[in-house]
Amino acid sequence: MLSLKTATVAAFVAGTVLAAPAAIAQDYPSRTIEVIHSYGPGGGTDRFIRAVGVPFEEIAGQSMVPISIQGGGGMPAYANFQQRRVDGYTLMAISPDQIIAHVLGRIEMDSFQPLARVQYDQGMILVPASSPFQTIQEFMEHARENPGELNVGITNAAGFDDTVMGLWNIETGAEVTTVPFGSSEMVSNTLGGQVDAMHEEYGPARGLIDSGDMRPLVVFSDERLPVLPDVPTAVELGYDVTLGRWRAFAMPADADPAQVDTLFGLVSEAVASDSYQEVQEQAALQYRSELLGPEEFQAFIDSEIEVYTRVLDALGLTD
Amino acid sequence: MLEAYGSALAYLFGNPSSFLLIIFSVIWGIAFGSVPGLTGIVGVALLIPFTFVFDPTAGLLLLSGVYVGSTFGGSISAILFNTPGSPEAACTALDGYPMAKKGQAGKALGIALASSAIGGIFGTIVLMLLAPPMAQFALNFGPPEYFALAVLGITAISAIGGGSVLKGLVAGLLGLGIATVGLDPITGTERYTFGNLSLLTGISFVPAIIGTFALAEVLQRAGERTSTADVITDVSTKLPSMKEFLATRFTLLRSSSIGAFIGALPGVGATTAAFISYSEAVRWSKRPQDFGTGVAEGIAAPESANNSAVGGSMIPLLALGIPGSATTAVMLGGLTIHGIIPGPLLMETNTQLVYTVFIGMFVANILMLIFGIRAARYFALVLKAPYALVGPAIVVLCMTGVYALNSNIVDVGVMLAMGAFGFLLRKLQYPIASFVIGLVLGPIAERSLRQGLVISDYDYWDFASRPITAVLLIGSLASLIYGFYGQWKRHQIAQAAKLSRGQSG
Repeated sequence: MLSLKTATVAAFVAGTVLAAPAAIAQDYPSRTIEVIHSYGPGGGTDRFIRAVGVPFEEIAGQSMVPISIQGGGGMPAYANFQQRRVDGYTLMAISPDQIIAHVLGRIEMDSFQPLARVQYDQGMILVPASSPFQTIQEFMEHARENPGELNVGITNAAGFDDTVMGLWNIETGAEVTTVPFGSSEMVSNTLGGQVDAMHEEYGPARGLIDSGDMRPLVVFSDERLPVLPDVPTAVELGYDVTLGRWRAFAMPADADPAQVDTLFGLVSEAVASDSYQEVQEQAALQYRSELLGPEEFQAFIDSEIEVYTRVLDALGLTD
Repeated sequence: MLEAYGSALAYLFGNPSSFLLIIFSVIWGIAFGSVPGLTGIVGVALLIPFTFVFDPTAGLLLLSGVYVGSTFGGSISAILFNTPGSPEAACTALDGYPMAKKGQAGKALGIALASSAIGGIFGTIVLMLLAPPMAQFALNFGPPEYFALAVLGITAISAIGGGSVLKGLVAGLLGLGIATVGLDPITGTERYTFGNLSLLTGISFVPAIIGTFALAEVLQRAGERTSTADVITDVSTKLPSMKEFLATRFTLLRSSSIGAFIGALPGVGATTAAFISYSEAVRWSKRPQDFGTGVAEGIAAPESANNSAVGGSMIPLLALGIPGSATTAVMLGGLTIHGIIPGPLLMETNTQLVYTVFIGMFVANILMLIFGIRAARYFALVLKAPYALVGPAIVVLCMTGVYALNSNIVDVGVMLAMGAFGFLLRKLQYPIASFVIGLVLGPIAERSLRQGLVISDYDYWDFASRPITAVLLIGSLASLIYGFYGQWKRHQIAQAAKLSRGQSG
């Protein structure tokens, strides 16, 4: 018993001593890493950062904390991010909202060094239980016969939701009207029948789907979600709408490449951890949330810019 | 239901540490509420990582205790220094500070504390007994109803003028105007931002109120040569006498009801509840012209409403999984991290959690009474220091607090500019109350009007003829006409009096 204990201690000491030189050579990160984002505390992005942050702290020995700078279409958060020192301790959580801002000429995607794309969510159109529409076909038939009559609740004006629904209108040739709300009002107005439907991802709507208060009609993804096997995808109906909200980390453009490598290594370890995977599964995010490293993510960003430029041009939102 | 309370009590007594948690959270909440810039949302958000350590029930107890404490905490600095510690308390400063200036700081704090406790307990009882039906009823409130509710609050600005209707209206319109800065709520177009990225968020509410209240006050005091003239000396926190308190019973009942209901509406919270109930207190008062000079109802109304709204805003959170306010939105995030799926099934699947929180909030409100008195006494000690020291300290505190809110230097600029603006309003005797009501309710009115019009396809009749909307709008109009009539009549009487004096003299 004693020898076992001694052996363990010895192994532990040896491990520490052996690991020490590596730790000195690699003393980054040596303090808290702050991740700026433009959404509310407790919202999807805030929770995403915290979910990565918990295993990250165990792995890196330093914490990763979200800094929420809300509103203004993400501009104030971006301005704050740009004002900060480039020392490897400030990240920004980016999403399609930054791509949209780039296409609209408000920000430059070149000012980011992509680090890791972690989540890739899938949105859906949901109707309240009291809705007369049982299937997406019935819904679209009504929309086609009565252009603009159906109202779909979305969050934030001229943002990601608006773009997805705009693309949906273009692809289907029917017309639904979007009504921008705050996220909780969007849900209450849909439940209360003030609007006909809403656009939301599975995670936040899960409670309402489980209780039967809301019915998903279509999911914007290439494949059906295993948790919702009866809900068709837009693609199988012949509409190429797969735009999803993704959540990712970026560093400033002139970040130290060595730090980018180190940090990506730590983030990928954190993402692989059980605690993070559990959180991801709960929101049905595991289906297309493939972790992308700096280069792949840059390529993904370039392709997203093309897609969003096409959509926003078609919607007449670009100059 | 009884069974549920049984298991909740079993949990609480099985985990005596949970009582310690509630005590800690209430004190933490009062502290965060009372320091300007450190709002309840910040207090709750900071504690989220710590809730991982506990089980979900203890975590939610902790967060709801902070919410309860912070909503009252803001009123301490609002009353003593005209510095609303949190946005919910902005309205309390309107009458709380004038009363304190009259040498009745103790009475003002006492009314605030007792009203907070009554409102808080009222809101908790509504939450306990009526959560599911209230949540369902609140779903009837679409954009047109939100709009009518905001209009109802805004029409009161004509009565608050404190003499001049014109000045009240001008101040109110300025508030409405400033509220339009930022991104258009429907089209996302930039408005009055002058190319400044930081102004896209609009004029943030917390920096704006801290500027107009606290900074403007410090400026004004600095301008008065004899700063010793109105030193606040009575700093004991004696509760108001039973007689004084009973005089506000109708205000308390009305405001607590308004608070619980508005709290239950998603997207509007305790701040809106406080202002609307203040407006209603003015409307129903026999002496509306006295509001703003330090009347008991002017403190009782917002304080009971904002604390009642705490219980109210937990209603949609627990019954539907929709947060009723910014603070409950943070709590929702906390629940989700714990693996709890918020939604209509929450109350059935997590009975113990829900009912433990009910009892916890009840206890927190009672604890608030105890700690509130102590906190107020410590704060009041500051009043013994000369204003030449306190004033600059308030400015420093406001600046750091506002910066800490978003680590955004622009917020500090907004606060300074609004401070100068608030100072100007006071000098020219424009009512601050009307201005702030415009600032708070303007965005709600604008957003919901335009959402409603998009939904009704710009059919104004369709929009206005919905039953609840119609009743609220007609009520607003009637009260507006009645208000003007009252003003006109007073003017006539004054004229007649002047005339008769002239004849006899």
